[in-house]
Amino acid sequence: MEVLLQVLIGGVLLGGLYALVAFGLSLIYGVVRILNFAHGTLLAVSGVLASLAYASWQLHPLLIAVLLAPLLFVCAYGYYQVLLRPLSKRNHFESTVGTVLVTVGTLMILSDLTAKAAGATQRNIPLRLEALEFGEIVISTTQLLILLGIALLTVVMHLILTCTWFGRAVRAVTQDPVGAQICGVQSTRMKALTFAFGSATVAVAAVLYVLSFPVDPYMGFGLTVKAFTIIVVGGVGNLPGALLAGIFLGVAEGLTGLYWKPEWAPALSVVLMLLILVAFPKGVGVKA
Amino acid sequence: MKTIKQIIAASTVALTSALSVLPAHATLGSCSEAIVLGTTISETGPFSTLADRWRKMTEVFAEEFNKGGGVLVKSCNKKLPIKFVIYDDQSVPATAVALFEKMATVDKVDFFVGPDWSSLGGPVPPVAEKHKIPMVMANVATPSVYDRGLKYIWGTPFPVVPNWSARYFEMIGKVSPKPQTIFFITHDNPVMKGITATWSKKAEEQGLKVLGNETFSPELKDFTALIAKVRAAKADIIYLSSYDNASVPLVQQMRQLKVRAMDVHHTMLTGALHRQVGKDIEGMTGELSWYPGVKGDYSDLVETVMKRADVSMFDYIWTLGRLTSYLTMIQAIEKAGVVDREKVKEALFKATVKSPAGDVTFDERGFPNTGAFTVQMNGGKVNVVWPPEVATGKLVWPSPTWK
Repeated sequence: MEVLLQVLIGGVLLGGLYALVAFGLSLIYGVVRILNFAHGTLLAVSGVLASLAYASWQLHPLLIAVLLAPLLFVCAYGYYQVLLRPLSKRNHFESTVGTVLVTVGTLMILSDLTAKAAGATQRNIPLRLEALEFGEIVISTTQLLILLGIALLTVVMHLILTCTWFGRAVRAVTQDPVGAQICGVQSTRMKALTFAFGSATVAVAAVLYVLSFPVDPYMGFGLTVKAFTIIVVGGVGNLPGALLAGIFLGVAEGLTGLYWKPEWAPALSVVLMLLILVAFPKGVGVKA
Repeated sequence: MKTIKQIIAASTVALTSALSVLPAHATLGSCSEAIVLGTTISETGPFSTLADRWRKMTEVFAEEFNKGGGVLVKSCNKKLPIKFVIYDDQSVPATAVALFEKMATVDKVDFFVGPDWSSLGGPVPPVAEKHKIPMVMANVATPSVYDRGLKYIWGTPFPVVPNWSARYFEMIGKVSPKPQTIFFITHDNPVMKGITATWSKKAEEQGLKVLGNETFSPELKDFTALIAKVRAAKADIIYLSSYDNASVPLVQQMRQLKVRAMDVHHTMLTGALHRQVGKDIEGMTGELSWYPGVKGDYSDLVETVMKRADVSMFDYIWTLGRLTSYLTMIQAIEKAGVVDREKVKEALFKATVKSPAGDVTFDERGFPNTGAFTVQMNGGKVNVVWPPEVATGKLVWPSPTWK
């Protein structure tokens, strides 16, 4: 029983981190209709940067997140305007193939450049706080704080999407781009802003991730696949749905390791996504 | 004027073409040219962290070795210098195969040394076999690579899988309190699985009860489930059979989740692991093939080369295997007494060669009998703790950091 509880706690934490990665991707896909294959790599690269900042200047992780988020926002905004926006003027086929090529190319270039500059080895922020022990169950205080951070970030993002003009505009473009345009929402600008905002959330996710798990420049695509699974299960643009789906995936991976074999856990997300898409071709989540 | 220009251009092209097809060495058996050893090094790609300083090290090795005149070749009644042709195999098997083919046909090297890693050691040897060029591979430790009936292949990995933890198991048979149980955690990789298969069997033969054997994928980041099983098993020894990089999150999470044992043993306790997990590595035991200070044949040469090339044994734990492949080929040429591939092949067959870590004897497959010392991390430093006669530090048992 203790073992099961320990695994469930670990699964919730891991799932929360997966959900954070999926939030940005979900928003971007919902509004911009681009499957950003470089999303997970952005997390990996941000994680490497965060780790370097911590190791070099001993900056507080919170401060690192505060510095990284606007940096990613600006870079992503420029990236969208220069590389992705021109593709939207092409026909559907060219636009789709073009965005896949651009984002996959970005993934490869970002990974190689980071590996060249910072090395291909794993990095993290080794913040160690005293663990809490309840009999045989050990809960890492760092992990508890991360979980709190995930919950706070989910609430903040939910409030931004429901209570601000930006959020309402984002949801309007997600639900009906033409209707939103008629009501005065500049959909082109909203798309660029959403792409930048979704990418900026990765900075916070990356800092929380490297506090618990190491990152390396080449691990990003696996995270992107997990985020796709979460979007399929949780629904496009549905943050509470993504959080639940993330936790479901994290716990499922933990239980796979416990009752079956740990080496199969990383492949579970792909298997789940395939099964869900076969059973529910339109996804099981509700669109926001 | 135009004609002169044309003549100059034609001459340049002709000269360049002629130079480009010239081999890197003179004729085999020559007594006036350097002996050319062809090799590849994983300077880029996933294995580069283990070998990225080896090009310089190899060049320094040639320089230092040639200071004594080179290899004594009896048939020439003189010493011949050695020279290396080095390429980057990018850690990719297909690239390595292509480069060895190029060295055989374009560079026309005399002999092959290297490559490293079992993933390259599988596909590369047939090239040597096809061209009948003796090859002393470096860090290829998987026995099955040598089980294919190839006649031109030898290897100098330190240690080989069947001897990997021999000294560690000898040590735990003599410590007090004596461990009774062991739990294996294995990286999903052929070499690591081979180590676990060998040593879980030997653990049982030694009277240790094997409480579990869990395999993990190198992509796995969350080890909670695996660690929960390990904690529940309450084993005296936890044996991590893993490459250093893949085990980083595992070691960190074992500390976070307060795993307890008499000892946690890691099959690749390296400087890279130390840099990544910091003090979490404290108190762990592992293997090290050799270290500067242990005197043996060629140890002064190896120490000088490593110092000049800025290669630390703890950071680049496979260095001895690499340098021993060079030393083995040199000794085989000396034994053959002639720069002749067939004669050198005969000299290598079931040979015993000298190395800084002791004699290396090859069986009929070309597989060596190399072993390793047992080390322990204490106070941020790596100490050899077994066997006692070469120890540089005292074994702390049970490990206080895993209490």
